[in-house]
Amino acid sequence: MEYIGESTWIGEVGRLLVVVALASSLFTALMMFLSRGKDKSMINWGKGAFVVHAISIFSVVGLLFYILLGHYFEYDYAWKHTSLDLEPRFVFSAFWEGQEGSFLLWMFWHCVLGLVLLVTAKSWTAPVIGFLAIVQGILTTMILGVYIFGTKIGMSPFVLIRELPENAALPWTQLPDYLQQIEAFSDGTGLNPLLQNYWMTIHPPTLFLGFASVVVPFLFAMSGLLRKDHKSWLKPALPWTFFSISILGTGILMGGAWAYEALSFGGFWAWDPVENASLVPWLILVGAGHIILIERNRGGAAHSMYIFIILAFFFILYSTFLTRSGVLGDTSVHSFVDLGLNGQLLVLLFTFVALPLALYLYSYKSIPKSDGNEDFWSREFWMFVGSLVLLVSAFQIIFSTSIPVIDKLVGPDGLVPLLSKKMAPPTDEIAHYNAWQIPFAIAIALLMAVGQFLSYRKTRLKWTWIPLARSLALAMLLTLAFGIAYDLHKNVLYFLLLLSGWYVVIANFDYWLFITKAKFRFSGSSLAHVGFGLLLVGSLISNGAKQFISKSPVHLSENFPANENLLVELNDTVQMGDFFVTFTGTEQIAHRRYYFMDYLRRDEKGEYTVDFSLEPHLQINEEMGLVAEPSTKHYFHKDIFTHLTYAADVDKRGDDEGYGEEMEFLMAKGDTFIVNRHFLILDSIVAEPVFAENERIHKLTVEAVLRLLATDGTTYTVRPSYSIEQDQDFHHEEIVEEAGIKIRFDDVKVDQNKLLIKTKTKVDDDEEFVVLKAIIFPWINILWAGCILMGLGTLIAVYTRVRRERRVT
Amino acid sequence: MKKTHIIALLLIFVTIGVVVATLSDSSTYENFESAKLNAGQTFTVIGELDKDAEMIYDARKGLFTFYAIDKEGNTSKVFYGEPKPQDFERSEDITMKGFATDSGFVASEILLKCPSKYNEENAMAEK
Repeated sequence: MEYIGESTWIGEVGRLLVVVALASSLFTALMMFLSRGKDKSMINWGKGAFVVHAISIFSVVGLLFYILLGHYFEYDYAWKHTSLDLEPRFVFSAFWEGQEGSFLLWMFWHCVLGLVLLVTAKSWTAPVIGFLAIVQGILTTMILGVYIFGTKIGMSPFVLIRELPENAALPWTQLPDYLQQIEAFSDGTGLNPLLQNYWMTIHPPTLFLGFASVVVPFLFAMSGLLRKDHKSWLKPALPWTFFSISILGTGILMGGAWAYEALSFGGFWAWDPVENASLVPWLILVGAGHIILIERNRGGAAHSMYIFIILAFFFILYSTFLTRSGVLGDTSVHSFVDLGLNGQLLVLLFTFVALPLALYLYSYKSIPKSDGNEDFWSREFWMFVGSLVLLVSAFQIIFSTSIPVIDKLVGPDGLVPLLSKKMAPPTDEIAHYNAWQIPFAIAIALLMAVGQFLSYRKTRLKWTWIPLARSLALAMLLTLAFGIAYDLHKNVLYFLLLLSGWYVVIANFDYWLFITKAKFRFSGSSLAHVGFGLLLVGSLISNGAKQFISKSPVHLSENFPANENLLVELNDTVQMGDFFVTFTGTEQIAHRRYYFMDYLRRDEKGEYTVDFSLEPHLQINEEMGLVAEPSTKHYFHKDIFTHLTYAADVDKRGDDEGYGEEMEFLMAKGDTFIVNRHFLILDSIVAEPVFAENERIHKLTVEAVLRLLATDGTTYTVRPSYSIEQDQDFHHEEIVEEAGIKIRFDDVKVDQNKLLIKTKTKVDDDEEFVVLKAIIFPWINILWAGCILMGLGTLIAVYTRVRRERRVT
Repeated sequence: MKKTHIIALLLIFVTIGVVVATLSDSSTYENFESAKLNAGQTFTVIGELDKDAEMIYDARKGLFTFYAIDKEGNTSKVFYGEPKPQDFERSEDITMKGFATDSGFVASEILLKCPSKYNEENAMAEK
């Protein structure tokens, strides 16, 4: 049968290219490993095959974009993730909204990195590209979408809706013109409104480049183990590691920026499982990067170096598993869909536990051990300690995030049911994580402040104390200033974190200015460390001293904490902190509904002037509901963040006629109930059968004769009815406008000999008010400045190192 | 690395501390009945909205009340001191953190699981 209007060629080409990509990656791996790094012609074949693989993946990416941009809604991916009214700039977000697309994005970056490595890896090309091809081969199976012996292997992005297993037996799939006949195919369901934000077009590709680039140090480490050469790969791998640290870190922080701007939980970090899953590999990678530095400058850390690099990559895969297997379903605000690829994800995970472990054991004896006489006052010793702290910090985060996994393993419904009850995450997650991570952050910060001043091998302590003491004094001044201004000095942990954060900033700045004489080629690491310090300080001040200025004056009971929501009626002015806020109106532009809020100040004369206006808005999406987006006034030293937690005008309580708040009554003849200050009495029941020609009942109408009695004696008689005609129910509802009551005869409860009567009362839906939450985040700009400096500083470090090493060779 | 060994040993202790503390910090999934046995203690309950019962958001009071049915089928009144979450009626599952009282369950945090698009697709398939 020929279907009309389908463009099946795109999918056919796409699927073919996926197969080519898989075959060429396997061929690459085969050639690279068989060559043993020596056979030139085999290596060239391998290189060629990798180029074919890369071109196939790029083409698959191109075809998927073609489907999305061309609105080919017969394709499941286009139908699920786009719609006709989707702004073209969000097509990127749509591309990586689904799992298939995000796997593709990940593979895309692997290919880009692989092509760079083809040119730059020189003598390491064969094993590095060989291992990359294995990774790519396994990832390609994730988008294969074939069934082998009844097992699904991968999910193809090129599946037509009629080919989905759940639709296989449905009658419409047999219609040649189903695309024209079925209304639903004329438009897609659209992109999740949360992702319709500009951060979502740049955050995922950056994050995925970060994710993908972790593979590079891993590839070099694996190659080193394979060749039992534990020294010469460090040079090419080092800049890559810090490149990855920079990009992954930036990607994670962009996620925080998106959460702050587009989500309404009021903050940039909430220890959500998805955030944690990307932070953990980053922390380990930072440790790995510093251990590579130790190994390169001094040696003796080879074992730890391999373990850190392997763990960093392992946690990339583990976090992919966590976020994509649906296992986090109950614990995360991010919604995950289980595509049924869990088995495959586990295979991926176990392959990259088994393979590195096997190689590590294989070359265990050849890995140089530490000589054991490192100096206590050496830079490498404290750098190593810092890396271990990072590892433990990462472990704490991933352990708590993995509670759903623990449930799957040993929970009551798990593999080995050891626990009698399902474990849930800590009830106050933020407090739980902070209790651990703040001390870890303090330790790391102190190491970062002092570490730069120590030299490799042995430090002459005499003059090191001067800059350290000078910086500490300055840091203490800043800490006292901010601590007292924002009341952070009473909490010991906050105080120490603030102090150590400022200490990192000042000490590293001091080092850069006076010791490296502000030379560009030494500025990378100092800048990155200053950035990290600012990040700690900024997040502590902005979060620890955040102030809810929207406070409800209503005190409910001791069970409820002070409400941080404030109700503002249209054209009314309410005091909020130092401000007075007026709700001046609304305006809807396309699917975005804006609520205008004027923030007023009162001067000494008692006159009100508008200080600024904010426009928090709601995205009204018929498919996926309402999404509130905050609006923020940015000052240099603080942000005033405002978002709507409720808007009355989009939440009508009544039905089309304005009636709501339904009540149910089971009534027998003569029963009386009270509804909305009226008595409701069931007087009689009248049945009117209509007979068909064969004398069987064709239609049966039952009428309830009810009396409504108002307190002033006014009586209304209402006759709602319920009828059955050929297995179909009909209801005739009655409205008494004067009483504000709507009555429905819903059903006959034959077993109880009673009627089910439902009533609704008139509800006032004309009120226009909003409920909003407003938070002041002091000095959040320090946080953003820190993020930028950290990313930038790390990139400068990569650049200067690459240049320095070029000069050496 | 002898000194490092000492540090590593210390960190192993911290790690054990992490595990123990996380296990003791973690709560358990309960239902409304079992939460009542330890009234006042915070638990996580997963349930769904009782669509037949009344649901009132009193914006002026800032209190949202509804009825939820947990996984075991127990119904309880739930108090939530925050505005009614957007699209509450459309939710499939409601994860509630809070504690039981004599008059109902007091939720401090509510997480909604909304029907995924895949379900909407099935709805289309029924046409």
